[in-house]
Amino acid sequence: MPIARDRGVFIGMMGLEDDARVDFARLRAERRAKVFSSMESRDLDALMLGGVGNVRYVSGARQLGRSGVLPFAPVAVVVRESRRVHLLSTWDEGVPPEIDRDDLYRMSWNPVNLAADLAKIPGLRDSRRVGTDGLTPMFAALIPQLVTKAELVDAGPVMTAARRIKTPDEILCLEVASAIAEAALSAMEDALTPGITERELLGIYHERIAGLGAPMPPSEGVCFVAPGTVSFRHLASDRRIGDGELVVLAPGALYAGYEAGLTRTRIAGDGARPAGLASRCARGMDALLGACRPGNTGADLYRVWEETGNEDPGVPLAHGLGLGAEPPLIGFGRGRDAVIEEGMVLSVQSWVTEDGIGGCLERATAAVDSSGPSVLTRYGRL
Amino acid sequence: MEPIDVATVGGRAIPDLPDLPRMHRERFARLQQQLEAQGVDGLVLLGSSSVAYATGAAAPAQDGDRAALFRTVAVVVKGDSAPHLYTLFADGVPAELPEDHLHGPLFPDLDDGIDTFAAALAEHFASGSRVGVDDQTHAMLRGLPRFEWMDASDVVGAAKLTKTPDEIACIRNAQRLNELAMTDTRAILRPGVRQIDLSAVFLRRVFELGASANGIDPIWQVMAPTRELGPWTLHGDLAYPTVTTDRFLREGDVIWVDSGITWEGYASDYGRTWTTGAGPNAKQQEHFRRWRTVVDAALDVLQPGVSALELGKAAIDANDGVRPWIEHFYLAHGVGTESAEMPLIGTDLGEQFDERLIMQPGMLLVLEPVIWEEGYAGYRSEDIVAVTDTGWVKLSGSTYEPYGVEA
Repeated sequence: MPIARDRGVFIGMMGLEDDARVDFARLRAERRAKVFSSMESRDLDALMLGGVGNVRYVSGARQLGRSGVLPFAPVAVVVRESRRVHLLSTWDEGVPPEIDRDDLYRMSWNPVNLAADLAKIPGLRDSRRVGTDGLTPMFAALIPQLVTKAELVDAGPVMTAARRIKTPDEILCLEVASAIAEAALSAMEDALTPGITERELLGIYHERIAGLGAPMPPSEGVCFVAPGTVSFRHLASDRRIGDGELVVLAPGALYAGYEAGLTRTRIAGDGARPAGLASRCARGMDALLGACRPGNTGADLYRVWEETGNEDPGVPLAHGLGLGAEPPLIGFGRGRDAVIEEGMVLSVQSWVTEDGIGGCLERATAAVDSSGPSVLTRYGRL
Repeated sequence: MEPIDVATVGGRAIPDLPDLPRMHRERFARLQQQLEAQGVDGLVLLGSSSVAYATGAAAPAQDGDRAALFRTVAVVVKGDSAPHLYTLFADGVPAELPEDHLHGPLFPDLDDGIDTFAAALAEHFASGSRVGVDDQTHAMLRGLPRFEWMDASDVVGAAKLTKTPDEIACIRNAQRLNELAMTDTRAILRPGVRQIDLSAVFLRRVFELGASANGIDPIWQVMAPTRELGPWTLHGDLAYPTVTTDRFLREGDVIWVDSGITWEGYASDYGRTWTTGAGPNAKQQEHFRRWRTVVDAALDVLQPGVSALELGKAAIDANDGVRPWIEHFYLAHGVGTESAEMPLIGTDLGEQFDERLIMQPGMLLVLEPVIWEEGYAGYRSEDIVAVTDTGWVKLSGSTYEPYGVEA
């Protein structure tokens, strides 16, 4: 495939007649190859997956977006020997062509019927080691009884190994998601005038991403007023934003399941720029981003953050991004040993506060290149 | 139908708006009753809707994997006066939760720090306790103390099966917001509008009106006139719901709409059929009238003591012996902190299950029969009712535009 000299032409949502956008068939094929090779090296015969990101990673299916997390249930089954992916879908719309109609199993309300369908999947019953990405006491009993006597082990290492390092097509999806998030930030910034509420800004955010064709947000925690003595908030309130108040605008977006997000802090109406706060936030951000290099660990992020003179922000310093949020989580004292590798994508954020002045949040989506971080989200600073 | 202002559930009126602290208290008491009755020492809950039910805590709506990594966790100890809540979202903690029951976040999906989770549970439960759990990550299976784990759904499901008057008020209000936003959304529908344009208007409006969160990507499925022309399905019946795209809506399209926003943790469920361009023709009006007849036939027999099987039979009889719902769905489902929960009527759980499922005051039913005529598509809407002490009340609105203004 010829490579456009201007990469910017890739960053759009519309199919182009020369197929110049994301090559989804290749993206899916590369993901599947990574999963099968990872199953091989970890000696797993099959996977039973329920996590939204895992199911999407192995199947590439466009399934109904819903918020929240459900208890484990086997929504996708991967069989190493047949190299097939089986999917819980009663119909074939939204299912990529490499998954045959024979590979689908039906939606059931009765777990016994679900188990019976699973038992019919060629190669699953005779598997020796099956990875799952969760369990419930019910499935822990039902699977050995009705589906397979295989040893049930953690699918996490297989899926993490495949998902952690992004392919070029995945990075492209993350760039498109970044551009959608930037569009949402522009819309929110345009609407940010004294008198508007957080709830109204959340509505404007939804309207913009839905209109662009990406209606399910990574999170509805997309803005909060942050003047005075503040703590980080996640839920939109009905409070009217006052003239001169600091407001955190934190939109994200999903494109083909891939999540990007960025955050800027702005002043509603007229007000003096809190220069000290803003530069402290920027310094923290630059230090964190600078530490996102191959070979560094979570401990390096903690160290550079402390070196800028900031306290524990009470929110993550960084976490992985891909098909949604993913490990490592660097924050809350966790993730010190997590190794940063080339090809990972991270959400990095700097949250600083000053009593009486307010809070300032900056967040970016960054890909880790061989030479250091490449920030995928672009926007002017406070 | 009873007027809502005289209807009672357990002898109590349904308030216009809920008393939230009372609601949290009564829900917690139900969980405690079930723990006692089922001989369970406590619960560890990780699923978004069970945590919301047990604690009343709010969290921002998040996509699946984000909601998992940053999940809130609830621990309910038998005999305790309040749930323990482990959360990152301090602004979503109910004001009445005692301070010593509020804790920082656990990260059950990570091995790193699982000892914190183990230590927390060791404080609540003696080793060997019988503990209900709704979901287990492998980090939990590796790192938590060895309790006698059982499925939490027996306890939580039993508590959630019937709703208190305050819960019913929550669902009614969630539904009101959903329907108001849909009125404004339908106003922009005309040939050339895309499915995502409808989502954009709906989502903006519903948050302006006061929704707490969106539950599902709104559905605007265009129904092909025959099953053959629609998506292929395993069972040969209709595919529904399929996912929204930038598909253009065109003159004559029959659209099955479905959306679910939440308010104070409670789901709503808007289901209607719309047409693009010209209003419904005579054939389509006939489908709508048949849908109304089927719902009315079920409602005519609905009262405490009636079985789910009898309700299903009434609906089938009213549709001349043809089952008026899609193979993979139901005549009706319940609604609560989940968009579809018990009671389920007419599913693959089977007739014996339905026969034993007896209507009780406080149960909620979302009736969503489907009328289908090969060659002409069909009609689907959703009516939400609550079973009361003596009958039922309707919680959803009674306009079905563009089919009927009142029905």
